[in-house]
Amino acid sequence: MGLSRREFIKRTAALTAASYVGMNLPLKEENRAQASDVDGWHRGVCRLCGTGCRVELGVKGGKAVALRGVTGSRTNMGYLCMKGMLFYRLMGHPERLTKPLYRASKKDSFKEISWDEALDIASREFARAVRKYGNDSVAYYGSGQALTEETYLFQKVMRAGLQTNNVEGNPRLCMASAVGGYITSFGADEPIGSYANIEKAKCFFIIGSNTAEAHPVLFRRIMRRKLDHKDEVKVINADPRVSPTSRIADMHLQFMPGTDLALLHSMAWVIIDEGLTDREFTEKYAVFRVGKDKKQVDFDTYKKFLDDYTPEKASRICGGNITPDKIRTVARWFAKSGGTVSLWTMGINQRKRGVWANNLIHNLHIITGQLCKPGADSLSLTGQPNACGGVREGGGLCHILPAHRLVKKDKLRHQVEDLWGVPRGRIPPKPGYHTMAMFTAVNQGKIKAMWVNCTSPAQSLPNCDLYNKGLAREDFFLVVTDIFPTRTTEYANLILPTAFHFEKTGVYGCTERRSQLTRKAVNAPGDAKPEVWIVREWAKRLSRDLNDPVIATTVKPFDGLEEDYELPEAIWNEYTQKLTRGRDNDLSGATYRVLSRMDDGVQWPAPTEEFALQGGTVIKFVKGYDPLATKHSKDENPYQFYGPAHPDRKLWVWLRPHKGPEEMPDSEYPFYLSTGRVIDHWHTSSMTGRIIELMRSNPYAYVEINPADAQRLGIKPGDMVEVESRRGSNLLPAKVYEGPVKGMVFVYWYDQAESRMINKVTKDAYDPGSKEPEFKICACRIRRVSGPRPLKPFLVQMKG
Amino acid sequence: MKRREFLKSLPFAAAALAALETGSLAGLVSSPVHTNLLRPPGAVPEGMFASRCIRCGRCVEVCPYRSIVPGDVLSAGFNAGTPLIKVTDVPCYLCMKCVEVCPTGTLRHIAQADTRMGLAVIDRYACMTWKENSMMLCRTCYNVCPFKEKAIKLDQLRPVIVNEYCTGCGICVHGCPVTLANGKKAVNVEPVYAFRVKPVESER
Repeated sequence: MGLSRREFIKRTAALTAASYVGMNLPLKEENRAQASDVDGWHRGVCRLCGTGCRVELGVKGGKAVALRGVTGSRTNMGYLCMKGMLFYRLMGHPERLTKPLYRASKKDSFKEISWDEALDIASREFARAVRKYGNDSVAYYGSGQALTEETYLFQKVMRAGLQTNNVEGNPRLCMASAVGGYITSFGADEPIGSYANIEKAKCFFIIGSNTAEAHPVLFRRIMRRKLDHKDEVKVINADPRVSPTSRIADMHLQFMPGTDLALLHSMAWVIIDEGLTDREFTEKYAVFRVGKDKKQVDFDTYKKFLDDYTPEKASRICGGNITPDKIRTVARWFAKSGGTVSLWTMGINQRKRGVWANNLIHNLHIITGQLCKPGADSLSLTGQPNACGGVREGGGLCHILPAHRLVKKDKLRHQVEDLWGVPRGRIPPKPGYHTMAMFTAVNQGKIKAMWVNCTSPAQSLPNCDLYNKGLAREDFFLVVTDIFPTRTTEYANLILPTAFHFEKTGVYGCTERRSQLTRKAVNAPGDAKPEVWIVREWAKRLSRDLNDPVIATTVKPFDGLEEDYELPEAIWNEYTQKLTRGRDNDLSGATYRVLSRMDDGVQWPAPTEEFALQGGTVIKFVKGYDPLATKHSKDENPYQFYGPAHPDRKLWVWLRPHKGPEEMPDSEYPFYLSTGRVIDHWHTSSMTGRIIELMRSNPYAYVEINPADAQRLGIKPGDMVEVESRRGSNLLPAKVYEGPVKGMVFVYWYDQAESRMINKVTKDAYDPGSKEPEFKICACRIRRVSGPRPLKPFLVQMKG
Repeated sequence: MKRREFLKSLPFAAAALAALETGSLAGLVSSPVHTNLLRPPGAVPEGMFASRCIRCGRCVEVCPYRSIVPGDVLSAGFNAGTPLIKVTDVPCYLCMKCVEVCPTGTLRHIAQADTRMGLAVIDRYACMTWKENSMMLCRTCYNVCPFKEKAIKLDQLRPVIVNEYCTGCGICVHGCPVTLANGKKAVNVEPVYAFRVKPVESER
């Protein structure tokens, strides 16, 4: 069989294209053909972490066949990680949910029903709960992965329609402390700068973040910066565990878990002691505050307060490898670099004192003036693609309304009611249940019907066994919208199949205030529908069942619109043009028209289309760069801190005393337990677990143990080890290596297997300010159970 | 000969024929060890292996991960029944249980880090991080390596094998997301030590 010249050239081109795309090269003949001559590339944003990488989906014959990065994008410059490159496999995956499923009792098996029946049931059950037990007996629990349009519409129907503020989302479990930190320190939520600072930074302070695994593409930028300027750029990594991120660090500070507040204070002490503060900046822009009543104090009080945290004292508190010299060196690098970027994620946020830890990082930036300048920023990384955009800005938490408005403030609440065209008083003035309170209320039988969208609390809540008891109650009606079966669908009464990313249209907002549009490129499998359509149809039925015309008015502007583009666009327009206009996250310039034209997206504030087309605001609060800073300028200073939470227009330096974790190791439970992510999996692995390449490299979770501890306990690599706390236990294979500090064990939390779900073990104590649980630290004990055993990867499957 | 027996014997005949065709009887007696198909830890050189090993199957039995499988007649010929590890299926997790039970010393007592089942070799034309103009950030082999940072290092986020420390366990091969048409991965373990007269690692 000969190959014609034309055929040969075609195949060569195919191979080149395939290798560029990064497909599993030859795979099978038919796949190769697919990757080569795709019908078209469709722009969107990555479905996974919060970096916000711009991707293009290759579609052939109506099927997704490849993904590649967009080189012109300011977030990833074309780079993608493995997860980002492979998630197209989930479109058209055979295990996708394709039909609405219902069961009256949680003991029954699911039956396929039509959308009409499904929406009728959902509406009937919510209406019944509202009539019988009041408006606060229903709740919505959303996700930082839902599109902004979805979160916005859900909360609108819940608040103005069902008159309850029981609107929460999983960002409470990951971002709430960062929100609290930004608001209390800077007066406005979300980072001041952008990723662009990475290329200008002289010093990176990475604390409580394994950027290399959780945000690989961003880590590449940091690494590039470091390797290109080896002597000029310093990288400090502070983490009780040596992670792949530590590899590029000039200094790794390995402190005992929960002692970072002392470490941060001690760095501030050194900075002040050695006169490394930026006096002018501090005098002009900062005030010092203490306590619940935000009492203002002077600089000397702050200085005196820090005397408890001299490097000598702090190194004793911190333990690990911390010495006074190390603290001094790090503090000098931080202050003298001429541009320091701090990066952190869950190690700081998921803590009993998460807000305080956030404040203390901001303190360092304020006293050294490392803000609003090129290469200097205090940048909290997000874990989810739309935690910032959808939930923090879109009003997806119990205490906030869209565009950073507080529920408690009458004026702001009435503003929203007026903009929505519903009678005043429709939105209750009291914030609803925050996440942990919400699931406690489920346990107590106070919440009778709940809608869980695009997340799996049955696996992701701390101490999940306790809360799963509530989810299993027969008098509790649970609707779950998702694309795959999860641990949570096992407790559902009604499962509604939804369209996946690129199967619907909508906006994601990433870490750096950047909103990016993803347009529908392929059809959803079976009867799966976009959430916006589901909510609209559900709201109409609720209005009928509760005989309340106001519920129908919440979705009235969107009636009859086609759900793949027109409907999300109308919702986006209402949200941006009406709700965000004039607020600090002004997105009114970022229309779908503008967003479709951008290589990357738009960073708010972007009050006009013209400004949005330039990319929006790269750096907040700086006159000339931020249109709102120019507009709200009150004096001659170049920086205008107009954030709504600080009427004095100042940055606040907080005097927060050191506090340890809620649960400390003792003789009975002598180890610290911490959890985290591995590069190849994402969250509960319901998506990444179904991509065979990713599952193969990390088929199951394991427990990382320090060799010194392992030797003492007779644990060899691969041995089965029981990790037990006061709440539950896991049985995991051991990985013995110099990762976690002596006295600490570390477990990945993606595994869905009953015996390897580490959140059965973690603690559900939470930050009194942000209400974010302390996932990262609890006490546990470990015990060798047996030698190595062959283990199988596990994913929840649909039964029946 | 019964019909059933005749049919049963067919594959053997075919194997013998195939062997004859490829290189007379050499196919039947030559070592089955090749890329990604390895001997367990501590194995004596391939030249002696088949004559030392008594095919008792203890190593197969003790392996907790089912990594070790006995060679079958069809593919292993004279080596049938000797232990093999096909790392693309299940790699060796270096629990070192097999070396303890081997009654003949065919698998010698050896420390975990001294194991040399082969040497991982990265195919820089297939590896998606090494390919020219690649914008893919894959670090799977590095992440799964039991001697991370020793046996595999990263050079500007691209994996590099350190020959001195690689045990040839094949965990990287198993994890590698790239599969080529010939069944190989972008990183493969080559049994370079198996065919040397004297092994490189220190004998104990």
